[in-house]
Amino acid sequence: MLEVVLNDRLGKKVRIKCNEDDTIGDLKKLVAAQTGTRAEKIRIQKWYTVYKDHITLRDYEIHDGMGLELYYN
Amino acid sequence: MANRTDPAAKSIRGTNPQNLVEKILRSKIYQNTYWKEQCFGLTAETLVDKAMELDHLGGTYGGNCKPTPFMCLVMKMLQIQPEKDIVVEFIKNDDYKYVRILGAFYLRLTGTDVDVYRYLEPLYNDYRKLRQKLADGKFALTHVDEVIDELLTKDYSCDIALPRIKKRRTLESIGSLEPRKSVLEDDFEEEEEKEENEQIDGLDNGVDERDYYHGRSPIRERDRDRRRESHRYRDRDYDRDYDRDYDRERGRGRERDRDRERDRDRERERDRDRDRDRDRYRIREEKDYGREREREKEREGRERERRDRDRGRRRSHSRSRSRSRDRKRHGRSSSPKRRADGPDEPKKKKEKKEKKDDGTDHPDPEIAEANKLRAALGLKPLKL
Repeated sequence: MLEVVLNDRLGKKVRIKCNEDDTIGDLKKLVAAQTGTRAEKIRIQKWYTVYKDHITLRDYEIHDGMGLELYYN
Repeated sequence: MANRTDPAAKSIRGTNPQNLVEKILRSKIYQNTYWKEQCFGLTAETLVDKAMELDHLGGTYGGNCKPTPFMCLVMKMLQIQPEKDIVVEFIKNDDYKYVRILGAFYLRLTGTDVDVYRYLEPLYNDYRKLRQKLADGKFALTHVDEVIDELLTKDYSCDIALPRIKKRRTLESIGSLEPRKSVLEDDFEEEEEKEENEQIDGLDNGVDERDYYHGRSPIRERDRDRRRESHRYRDRDYDRDYDRDYDRERGRGRERDRDRERDRDRERERDRDRDRDRDRYRIREEKDYGREREREKEREGRERERRDRDRGRRRSHSRSRSRSRDRKRHGRSSSPKRRADGPDEPKKKKEKKEKKDDGTDHPDPEIAEANKLRAALGLKPLKL
């Protein structure tokens, strides 16, 4: 289990507990449940890399405590 | 300027009509080529021509959320705000299904509740196929009535949050609308009549079979089982139960019962051993301990009798035993739970295990809550 921090720099900062083999799509669903936006509207980035929905966190080498950027479509 | 709403347009739901589409999607539409080239300077009439050229509907697609031409035309309609009769004309026209859907969508966004139901419900009868563009860019098949159903029941369609409208029942209760009369109502009535006729015919034929089955109807057996199990959970009286069942099933199910007894006995023996071990480590009063021993002794005696399979002796002993057990019941209530449930026990254990697999029973409340949310979303629980 790991905990990632997503920040949209406009006031929304959320900590999400998830598994390493969850996909980014699952992570977006969890973020949507916590923030209230729709899951399809969320975009997770790291600098200019937009994370794709079907790849797992482990494959993206996202570790515990890592910060991701939260954007909206 | 191209993106400003018509100054003569009324405000919808308290705001600029274009604000019905949220900011990000709106800016995407303004930057779209189709909007810039084709939707510049459109009026209501020229808009109809553009609408006739539509061949698919949808929201945004692709990695950078490109809007479809359908979206751009919806935006244009919000910008110029055509009259209500023009929109109704769009909906009523029969030749071009995408024009119809465009009108229906616009009316859902801007019309009053009563108008929405009044004009959109007749479209339930339209079964034509439509092409829908999904978020990944591929096309999917849908139908006009499916889209209308989405518009009337869901609150999000084609990437636009639909404004809330009152439920149909509320409008009916205040009298603005009549109760819904489905076009299929006549068909339903015919089918109901057919079913009734069939039932009547069926009853005449199979009377004898029915009676036989009534005697051993599954419902009564179920009730019997339920009663039997409920007593087991109280974990007294199963002997009394056994007698009751024994009397009832004298005719047929005695074999079944005997087998069940055998299983029960086996379980009880196992339980007794387990309980004995468990009990040794528990702090008890002398009273309880004495009572437990007595109970166990009695159980052994009971089993011996069962092995004999002598009905009369068993019955009389059970009566005395139940009496003595009544006396002991008050004391037993303080003693630890004893479960000799036989076939129920493995089932209950499985249920408990399943709950723990879900992770919602975790002692840490944060993790339990996270697991609950994950279960609601259809994800596996957290791996700790």
